[in-house]
Amino acid sequence: MSTTFDLGVSAAVPVAAWGQARLLAGTTSGRLDLSRHREVHGLPRRYDAAQLATALACVGLLGRGGAAFPVAAKLRGVATGRRTHVLVNGSEGEPASHKDRILMRLAPHVVLDGALAVASALEAGHLTIVVQDGLSLASMTAAVRERQDARAVRLVRHDHGFVGGEVRAVVRSLSGGPAAPPGRRVLPTVHGIDGRPTFASNVETFGHIALVASLGVDRFAEVGAPDEPGTTLVTLLGDVPHAGVLEVPTGLPLAALVGADHGPVLVGGYHGTWLPRASELLVSRPALRAAGAPLNAGVLARLPQDTCALGEVAAVARWLADESSGQCGPCFFGLPNLADILDQPAVGRPMLPDAYRRAGLLPGRGACAHPDGSAGFVRSALEVLDEEIAQHQAHGHCGRPLRGVLPTHAREAP
Amino acid sequence: MKIEVDWTRCDGHGLCARLLPELIVADELGFPVFAERGLTGDLLLHARRAVAVCPALALRLERPEPNHTVR
Repeated sequence: MSTTFDLGVSAAVPVAAWGQARLLAGTTSGRLDLSRHREVHGLPRRYDAAQLATALACVGLLGRGGAAFPVAAKLRGVATGRRTHVLVNGSEGEPASHKDRILMRLAPHVVLDGALAVASALEAGHLTIVVQDGLSLASMTAAVRERQDARAVRLVRHDHGFVGGEVRAVVRSLSGGPAAPPGRRVLPTVHGIDGRPTFASNVETFGHIALVASLGVDRFAEVGAPDEPGTTLVTLLGDVPHAGVLEVPTGLPLAALVGADHGPVLVGGYHGTWLPRASELLVSRPALRAAGAPLNAGVLARLPQDTCALGEVAAVARWLADESSGQCGPCFFGLPNLADILDQPAVGRPMLPDAYRRAGLLPGRGACAHPDGSAGFVRSALEVLDEEIAQHQAHGHCGRPLRGVLPTHAREAP
Repeated sequence: MKIEVDWTRCDGHGLCARLLPELIVADELGFPVFAERGLTGDLLLHARRAVAVCPALALRLERPEPNHTVR
């Protein structure tokens, strides 16, 4: 099985759902306008803040941007009232991930329903949606214009890369600052946009909030794993049975998504973790976190046999270095150093001790989690690619071309 | 108490590592690497001094908070 998925040139990302589609319900023939959306999803029920938090706690909803923070706890941490902001973060800055864009392009009203439900529950005076790419922005803009209840929604193009799309960087940018994470620990729930309380989460999170509001707690929890009911969006790439964006019930075997073949599997994208094999793991955020391989934004990959695996990892390490916002020395200098080591393994000279040492100097030494996530990606890769690295050191190369299975650049058709 | 660093301010001058070698070593570029240990007694005194002399005003002393970050 060797499906190739060239995210580099093709804007057409395959989209599918296994089992009953929820976020993507009704989208098999394309984008849902408002009337089709209402036919498929009905009207969401209205909640006040306490009721919404209770419902979200009942289904154990976790944030889908990467940190997997419990959404109910976040909601309870935000004051209600006109001063409060709601922020929908659609700045999907990871080149391997497509799920947020797909959701905004195919089912924009699911995202809006969720955002409006939160804004109404919090009695918030401000609702902002930031979007990175033009096609998703066009879809969201059209959706906002279709609705009476979305007149106050502010849509903002926010194209500031991976680190610049981190929620605190987005908040800072919307408050008139640079699109880079703040150096001091601030909670957007308390000091968010313009210093006001802000409920911020990823677009997919808002989609699930809409599902809770339209299906109710019991029906929402009818599918999926007991520790994280419902569905999740994942982006699959490389040598996998079904590359593209997939909506799946949580709790499926990881091997069902990435294939049961032998070979390293990447869980959680470019801030994620390489595993030697899919083994018996199940795909839910709590289960994968407990296994030391958090799902993050839902990118799962397996490298095909015919590409240079070390080269793929080195290319991502270089991209991660280039994405550093340059604010923090250990990241700004440390990531390029690490990428240099991976780039050119010298024949006969061991690279691993140096690479591990450099990677060990990254975690906890930045304003955001970029150095931590990048170090985890590289360290775990070194652990699973020992044979590959030995080959490179013995012969200068593994003999396989670098195919660029792991994309490291913007992948849109203009 | 715990030393916190604002990494966006730190320029790797390395003064803190000289004043508080028990807790801080500088990496090869001068950026601090912190040892995992509590600050009490004399060490706290030296820590206050290190915080005060940081040319970039990147250091501060904080009471350890429960680990609670919202992303």
